[in-house]
Amino acid sequence: MNATTTNSALVEINDLHKNYGPNVQVLKGLNIDMMPGERVVVIGPSGGGKSTLLRVVMGLEQIQGGSLRFGGKPYITTKGSKTVIDSEVRKKIGMVFQHYTLFPHLSIMENLILAPRKVNGESRASARERGQKILERFGLAAKADAYPSQLSGGQKQRVAIARALMLDPKLMLFDEVTSALDPELVAEVEQVILNLAAQGMPMMMVTHDMWFARNVASRVIFCAGGVVVEDGPPEQVLGDPVEERTREFINRVFHIKA
Amino acid sequence: MGMTLDFSILLRFTDALAMGLWTTIKLTLLCVVLGTSLGFVIGLLRSNGNAFIRGALGLYVELFRGTPVLIQLFWIFFCLPLILGVEFSNFVSATIALTLYMGAITSETFRASLRSVGREQMDACVALGLPRSAQILNVILPQAVLRAVPTLLSNAVSLFKESALVSAVGMADLMFIGQNISNNTARPVEVLTVVAVIYFIIAFPLTRAVTVVEQKLLRKFSV
Ligand SMILES: Nc1ncnc2c1ncn2[C@@H]1O[C@H](COP(=O)(O)OP(=O)(O)O)[C@@H](O)[C@H]1O
Ligand SMILES: [Mg+2]
Repeated sequence: MNATTTNSALVEINDLHKNYGPNVQVLKGLNIDMMPGERVVVIGPSGGGKSTLLRVVMGLEQIQGGSLRFGGKPYITTKGSKTVIDSEVRKKIGMVFQHYTLFPHLSIMENLILAPRKVNGESRASARERGQKILERFGLAAKADAYPSQLSGGQKQRVAIARALMLDPKLMLFDEVTSALDPELVAEVEQVILNLAAQGMPMMMVTHDMWFARNVASRVIFCAGGVVVEDGPPEQVLGDPVEERTREFINRVFHIKA
Repeated sequence: MGMTLDFSILLRFTDALAMGLWTTIKLTLLCVVLGTSLGFVIGLLRSNGNAFIRGALGLYVELFRGTPVLIQLFWIFFCLPLILGVEFSNFVSATIALTLYMGAITSETFRASLRSVGREQMDACVALGLPRSAQILNVILPQAVLRAVPTLLSNAVSLFKESALVSAVGMADLMFIGQNISNNTARPVEVLTVVAVIYFIIAFPLTRAVTVVEQKLLRKFSV
């Protein structure tokens, strides 16, 4: 990439407004500029709109105002009451959800190769070859022909990450991907994400795991009341927050582990 | 005066009973295949079609679900030829009636199974950038059909039993033959018991199979 693209934001979120119906205003003018190579951890009270933010960035939600740009290009805008999403831009973003959302009727390998074949027209053979490599990297090579129901939660979540990576995303979104896991399975999933981080994958994620947040984040954003309350390096926001509301939240939620 | 049961008289009628059973099986299989296909299309259209189509199909489904099958049979047997000006054989009339009935029942099965494929699967499709056609054909439909299988099997077993109603409009199925034998021999208890046992011998393993298939599918495809 040339110098101009590395200098500009990877994701620009401008004055984002998001409601569910007329009475539930979740995001109320949210602004975030995410630079290339950044790893943003979003924290905040439950029901504060963290999942909604990630879902908007993934292009899964209608918005009521504001706009998003990706890689310097318009990505999501509003036109009257309609939301216009550039689906070519959306293909550059991958997301992993809290509840795996693997396709239960397809084998692990079929889960991996469906999108590359249908989205990029890749041949089955070539997709399988790449899929096998990713599964080997994730220690799941033996599971290629298994079905999701035969895997542990940690394995399922790693497959979900592998499935997203098959499309070579330029940004990964993780929404509480370890929250549904048994405690002893959390580490294997976090390790995969830490490895991706070490390879320079830009990511935005929601987590309640303090240790993980500290180790993966290059930047932490505290969201509450539908806006960004505090935004800074992990040492500041998690360790010594400037804002009183952040301090209160950190003490309440993270005091045991911190 | 005690009444003695004598089942041996039925031995004289095995051929007739076999013929009746064959008619019942033929009719059931045909209506299961045609009706389930019809139900699949209707279920899809009612889940996605435009408002007019949805309304019209909704009316059809509720009409056939909410009225006695016996009356539906009479309708198709006696009114349809008048409306269309064409005479149908008994078998064709019965096939039309039970197919329409089965279509209404199974369309609800398909509709429920389509709804049961959650929003999260749709989210995953969009996040992967899957085109609309692949979302439907590769993700939603296969799961909906798999989830529908146990209920569809139950629907089929029910139809097998309910098909006995065609005897009331003069079709020579197992029930009709049984009633004839019972009238001719004046041995209703023996004859109708044997006929019931024949229905049961076929239906029971199928209902057991439904449970087994259900558990297998659940184990394999849950989450
Ligand atoms: N599909 C939806 N329909 C209506 N309300 C929703 C929907 N999704 C989320 N909400 C509401 O929006 C608010 C923010 O939810 P969410 O983004 O999931 O918060 P968080 O992830 O921070 O816990 C909550 O009050 C939630 O109840
Ligand atoms: Mg959430």
